[in-house]
Amino acid sequence: MKEKGLSSFMNKNGTRSVMASLISILIGLAAGSLIILIVGISNPSIGIKSAWDGIRIAVAGLFSTGRDAAGALTFGFNSTSIGNMLFRATPVILTGLSVALAFKTGLFNIGAPGQYLAGTAATLYIALTIPTTVVPAWIVWILAFFGGMLAGAVWGAIPGMLKAYLNINEVLACIMTNWIAANLVTWLFDVSSLKNVLESGKTGYIYKTTHNGVATPKLGLDAIFPNSQVNAGILVAILIAIIVYIILNKTTFGYELKACGSNRFAARYAGIKDKRNIILAMALAGGLAGTAGALYFLSGNTEFYWTTYQTLPAVGFNGIPVALLASSSPIGVIFSGIFMSMLDIAGLQLTNLTAYNEYITDVIIAVIVYLSAFSLVIRMWLDGRRRKAKAALETAAPAEPVPEEVKAQDESGAGIAPDKEAENK
Amino acid sequence: MANDERYVIEMLHITKEFPGIKANDDITLQLRKGEIHALLGENGAGKSTLMSVLFGLYTPEKGIIKKDGKEVKINDPNDATALNIGMVHQHFKLVDVFTVLDNIILGAEDTRFGFLSKKTARRKVLELEDKYGLHVDLDAKVENITVGMQQRVEILKMLYRDNEVLIFDEPTAMLTPQEIEELMQIMRGLTKEGKSILFISHKLNEIMEASDRVTVLRKGRCIGTVNTSETTKEELSRMMVGRPVQLVVEKKPAVLGEEVLNVSDLHVHSNMYKREAVKGVSFSVRKGEIVCVAGIDGNGQTELVGALTGLEKSSKGKITLCGKNISSVSVKERSTAGMSHIPEDRHKFGLILDFTLEENLVLQRFKEKEFSKKGFIRFGAIRSYAEKLIKQYDIRSGQGAVTTVRSMSGGNQQKAIVAREIDRGLPFIIAVQPTRGLDVGAIEYIHNQLVRQRDEGKAVLLVSLELDEVMNLSDRILVMYEGEIVGEFDPKKVTIEELGLYMAGARRQGGEATA
Repeated sequence: MKEKGLSSFMNKNGTRSVMASLISILIGLAAGSLIILIVGISNPSIGIKSAWDGIRIAVAGLFSTGRDAAGALTFGFNSTSIGNMLFRATPVILTGLSVALAFKTGLFNIGAPGQYLAGTAATLYIALTIPTTVVPAWIVWILAFFGGMLAGAVWGAIPGMLKAYLNINEVLACIMTNWIAANLVTWLFDVSSLKNVLESGKTGYIYKTTHNGVATPKLGLDAIFPNSQVNAGILVAILIAIIVYIILNKTTFGYELKACGSNRFAARYAGIKDKRNIILAMALAGGLAGTAGALYFLSGNTEFYWTTYQTLPAVGFNGIPVALLASSSPIGVIFSGIFMSMLDIAGLQLTNLTAYNEYITDVIIAVIVYLSAFSLVIRMWLDGRRRKAKAALETAAPAEPVPEEVKAQDESGAGIAPDKEAENK
Repeated sequence: MANDERYVIEMLHITKEFPGIKANDDITLQLRKGEIHALLGENGAGKSTLMSVLFGLYTPEKGIIKKDGKEVKINDPNDATALNIGMVHQHFKLVDVFTVLDNIILGAEDTRFGFLSKKTARRKVLELEDKYGLHVDLDAKVENITVGMQQRVEILKMLYRDNEVLIFDEPTAMLTPQEIEELMQIMRGLTKEGKSILFISHKLNEIMEASDRVTVLRKGRCIGTVNTSETTKEELSRMMVGRPVQLVVEKKPAVLGEEVLNVSDLHVHSNMYKREAVKGVSFSVRKGEIVCVAGIDGNGQTELVGALTGLEKSSKGKITLCGKNISSVSVKERSTAGMSHIPEDRHKFGLILDFTLEENLVLQRFKEKEFSKKGFIRFGAIRSYAEKLIKQYDIRSGQGAVTTVRSMSGGNQQKAIVAREIDRGLPFIIAVQPTRGLDVGAIEYIHNQLVRQRDEGKAVLLVSLELDEVMNLSDRILVMYEGEIVGEFDPKKVTIEELGLYMAGARRQGGEATA
């Protein structure tokens, strides 16, 4: 079979995944626009012109630069928005990696919020309690960073162990450890001396890490994106994504993890220690979620509002759509994570500049999440469309995947037989 | 003969192409009224494609279909149903939680004022049951009845819809020998009442027994149609594979070497059945011989293999491999000590179906120096190793080394496992049901490979439920019954009937019968 050029590119698995994700995104944006339009038309105080404004901001909020003197929306390169987008993307990329890595190894890590909290708590404790007068701030930063990672890993390993040794479904165990983490962390800060008492009027906040002089360096990113919160954390997140990609795809360790995830029995048959690998996979996933918390709060300009952590942090759960949208590809997670935070920024702009608020972008995210869960269906739809186009043209182009049965026929000769009986016995 | 009215279905010069492949190339199949017509071919020969054309799932590029001499167009399964063509798929299409009656009428319900009226339906089904001797409890839930009974439900479904042409896709694949016998009787009864049956299979025994005529397909082409009474199994297998097939393996007398595996007083507790599944088994396997463990399924063979390979724990006893006590070491260590394992369930244990062929070929070996360096996989080395094995063992697949194993045919999946296990060059090979579900060509191949290993001085332990295979391959037969070895035989000095008595527990060596 000869495949060439565009048709072979379009048939690559990766291309099809990306196409499916892009289609999900487009439909999501269209659905959001439709809602904006309906709300605008049905509400006389908004009107169609404002609705049009809303749609433009929802889709391109990242490039909004406010309104001009005449009140019309202006668009352009908004370095602050882009910088903030990268800043917000940092934790979401990491929780996305956490979920994606677990998916790849056959596990569903819904425990990212708890691991994120565990990482946050450990990081803040280390960053705020080690006096920078004695230990240099950069060493404290590194300790806090790895402390957060480790705490997340421990928190992830717990459901991993329950699964490996007692065969308890990791989803259940993760949900429970999430709530244990939420309450544990609340209690921990409740009895701690890290509450922000210096700034008057603030209750329930923990000190920023800058209180102790610890913060992620900007590495010149603040010069590229002035007036934004961006820091080197985003570079660390991207680096980690690349490392995860390498571990999963290039190392024997990744092969083992994936083997256990795809077929635990075959892995055991091959002498791979399946229990150990399940625990390790969950610990790694937890470590990534913990790192998300560490990087977010080590930025120095974020505050941990501990009394609200009776609820779980959304950034943990957002890892799930980020991973889904990226088809669990570690590199894809970088882009889907940035895309999610772009929608966040659009939401802020909506609130600032139009009669709408940021919840519209939540709707868009929700639609995209639904669709990305259906990305397989969309892929099948893409395949079906191609097949139809083919039939219409009656060309013999080889884009259509050859059905299994037919493929096998080419190969007979020495005798190939159905496997069906084996399955049924 | 062209206007022959004896034919109920004629598929004339059917050609169906898929990109790069002619799945059906000018195939003509004529089904006479009231006959059982077998469609024989290896997997991938085009049987299912042809039936899918008849059932309206594919549209052929060329060729016509005639029903009762008139040309018809079948564009989808509804057209086929309207022409009274019915099909029993290999995997039954039944709703497990519905009753038998509900399943039969599903999609063809009688209603009165929009409400189901099952009374007439029940009467009609009961009449059909009596007429064809297909007795099933109509109020039982499908999930609670046996596979054989479920198949009857599928047949009743077709009869309820007044189908005249009945297609059976590998109907015996999941039936017990007794159920197969019953099915054959049912099929004969159906043809007596004027139904015509198309019956897809690759099992020569049942084709010889049940069919009136056989059409053989190979690589998408029709090799010919013969009357069953005028042909033999050898002839059919030659037509199917394209060359003479040895149904019996030729082998030299065994040259015995030193002892490789020794098992003494092995006990295994079965977690699944909560009882002792292997009760004090002792035997040994020497270099250059194939020792076969025969027995009826469920007599402890699975647990014995589990304990030998390390997938299950033994509760008592000693296993020695090449002089090393491996009774309680890990799978990995057993493998290092010299054990290759061709597992019983190739999908559950033997392969990772979503991995590529090359990844599966190094399943136990990816950590070895040859294939990895400082924890990084050496993809180049794996690729060239995989390509070597693919060539040497003739493993065929769509895209070579990078084919996803799931998309490969069963025979080639098994070849991949055999290649992987044999190529490790270890002194002891344990093969469990290595030819299950394969057709004659693949069986021949795997048997020859095992015999070659034995001739090269490997020790082979074969666990098989097929008596033909046992008699054919082994140098020594151990019969297992209820967790014990009840007899040891030389295959040249024992008959299948005699083995059967031991397998059924009616006799045992060194003691009186237990059953």
